[in-house]
Amino acid sequence: MICKMKPGFRGLLAAGAVALTATMPMKAQAEETYNLALLSDFSGPYADIMPVLAGGREAVFKWWNATQGKELGVTLNYKNYETRYDAAQVASLWPGIKSELNPIAVVGLGGPDVAALSERLPEDKIPMFMATAAYGFAWKEDAWIFNPRPTYSHESAGFLAWMKEQRGGDEPLKVAIMASEASPAYVDMAKGLELYAEENPDALEVVEVIYTEVQPTDLTTQMRRVARAGAEALIVQTNTSIVVAAKRGLQANGADIPIMMSSHNGLPASGGALGGLDQLEGDFEAYGMAVAAEEDTPARQFYQTLVAEYDLDAPWNVVTAMGVSQGLYTVTVIQHAIEENGAEGLTGEMVREALFAKPITTEETHGFLPTLTFTPEAPFPLKGLKVNVGTVKDGKITIEATGVDVPDVHKW
Amino acid sequence: MVYFINDIITGALIGLLYALVAMGFVVIYRASKVFNFAQGELVIIGGFIVWFTTMQLGLSLWLSIPLSLVLAGLVGYAIERIFLTKLIGESVFSMVMVTVGLLILLRGLVLLLFGPAVRPFPIIFPLKPLFLGDMLIPMNLLAGGIITIVAAVGLSWFFNRTRSGLRMTAVAEDHVVASSMGISVKGSIAFAWVLGAILSTIGAMIFLSGKSLTFLASDIGFAALPVALFAGLESIGGLILAGVIIGVVQSLTTNYLDPMIGGSLGSVVPYIIMLAILLIRPTGLFGWRTIERV
Repeated sequence: MICKMKPGFRGLLAAGAVALTATMPMKAQAEETYNLALLSDFSGPYADIMPVLAGGREAVFKWWNATQGKELGVTLNYKNYETRYDAAQVASLWPGIKSELNPIAVVGLGGPDVAALSERLPEDKIPMFMATAAYGFAWKEDAWIFNPRPTYSHESAGFLAWMKEQRGGDEPLKVAIMASEASPAYVDMAKGLELYAEENPDALEVVEVIYTEVQPTDLTTQMRRVARAGAEALIVQTNTSIVVAAKRGLQANGADIPIMMSSHNGLPASGGALGGLDQLEGDFEAYGMAVAAEEDTPARQFYQTLVAEYDLDAPWNVVTAMGVSQGLYTVTVIQHAIEENGAEGLTGEMVREALFAKPITTEETHGFLPTLTFTPEAPFPLKGLKVNVGTVKDGKITIEATGVDVPDVHKW
Repeated sequence: MVYFINDIITGALIGLLYALVAMGFVVIYRASKVFNFAQGELVIIGGFIVWFTTMQLGLSLWLSIPLSLVLAGLVGYAIERIFLTKLIGESVFSMVMVTVGLLILLRGLVLLLFGPAVRPFPIIFPLKPLFLGDMLIPMNLLAGGIITIVAAVGLSWFFNRTRSGLRMTAVAEDHVVASSMGISVKGSIAFAWVLGAILSTIGAMIFLSGKSLTFLASDIGFAALPVALFAGLESIGGLILAGVIIGVVQSLTTNYLDPMIGGSLGSVVPYIIMLAILLIRPTGLFGWRTIERV
């Protein structure tokens, strides 16, 4: 039987077929799903900050799936794995993570993750993205573990260069450093800055590096020595307890030497441990990431979007900022990899190649991070490094300087 | 020269703080022959009790300090009742291993109950130091030094001059023999743990006054270890001398050698002294020498 169709109906069918064909690739794209393994510490030493940090990075993944991912036809699934901040736990979990998730990237937390996976990730060809600053001892070529921030020594050198500029004059800035042999990272922070001072005697003079315990008994006499040596700044990137002991030592001596802290022991944490932010009036925190201050910045606006639309339940502070910035540079690199290779068949290796292929602009990370240009020479960007400086004014954290250039610090 | 003398005085006072924490080791050892590896954790527990009563309950220091000491004593008693009382008559090694387990348990308990957050510890002693001309002496350390000396004199008298103290010494000699003589071994050991916990809480108040409190503060237990071994594990009076020697040497090393070498020899030096004394005189400066007749 021959069935005749009216020309109008035929046209409608053809249009429908064309529309269907056009939508088919979109439908196929929307089905692409990739997995991220999130290493977390909900029951170890960072249990108190983990929900906030995790909330920050997970809200970013939700936001990306709903916006950029939807357009590209990709969904990022993620799963938290409890590591207790323990390298042995990470190492024992890793084979299971790999077989269960087959992740295209790992979102790490700290040193134990690096220690456990630095030899395995190159073999498994899966990159790991961290949230913290980098370390001199991990400054190696062809890395698979990446930090959005340079080393702690880069960050302190950037801050001190800014401070010298604020002070004026040609004399080198006199600085004292607090360190501790309790952790290789704490020694590393001091060694890098010491080398920088040695190589740049016109810029910086290290009057003393004070080694102490992670919970010092008393630093009164050490702080008197620092004050007598004419130190103009005290660098404490170790932990909060050392900031508190140093501050008490300075107060006992009546010495008004500003302390520079990092993100993990910054103004909110140290202020809390001292009994109030007012105790740190005129002190600083400096790092290569947005300062979570009172001011209305693009970073804060993005945070507010995450709170309003993507269920972020975390206060506006440096830990949330770390989680959000980690999430943002991770999804941006994955997005670059999708744009370069297409949505199908994405691998960890492609994600790593995308990291080197194209800079991650500050606009892409909503001002949380400066523009990041990674190269195979280091696990962190070596050029265009910037730090932001926060301080306490009238008992509130405010932004003192943004986009401060970091000087060249050589490998140590 | 003034600064040099000041460093010696500060070092001596820090050494006396170590001696106070070490007193907890010695009191428990003298009553039970058990070396308590969880001494640092007792300091932390004491610290958290003081923090809780002062900062959380909002009690005044006059009320929170005695209450904290009572609560710390109860914690010490509970530890002894739950973990150690059943081991009386067993080998000392078993009891020592229990204290190693206790170290891990108490650390975990602190993390579970209070979390790892750094907390402000109440200001118990004035933050303003005592100025003597160009010298300055931290008030918490000065008060701590006085308390340590008073405690050492008092406890020496108790252990050497009172019946209860001498009974505890007999318990340390041999649990079975002490029991057969009608001495309550359980009571003596429980009392020692109560005393050890109270001394640790006083140590926490001196150590942490005006500073911050985390489980990291338990490291002071290890800092006190060389003082206890240097003095001899049975000697309370000897702790004063050992503490002063170790504190002064550590202070001078930290203030004069460390800046030259760019390292932390000051934190190692107490252990070097401890090893040296153990090689020369294994019982420590004032430890009991045991004579065994075959």
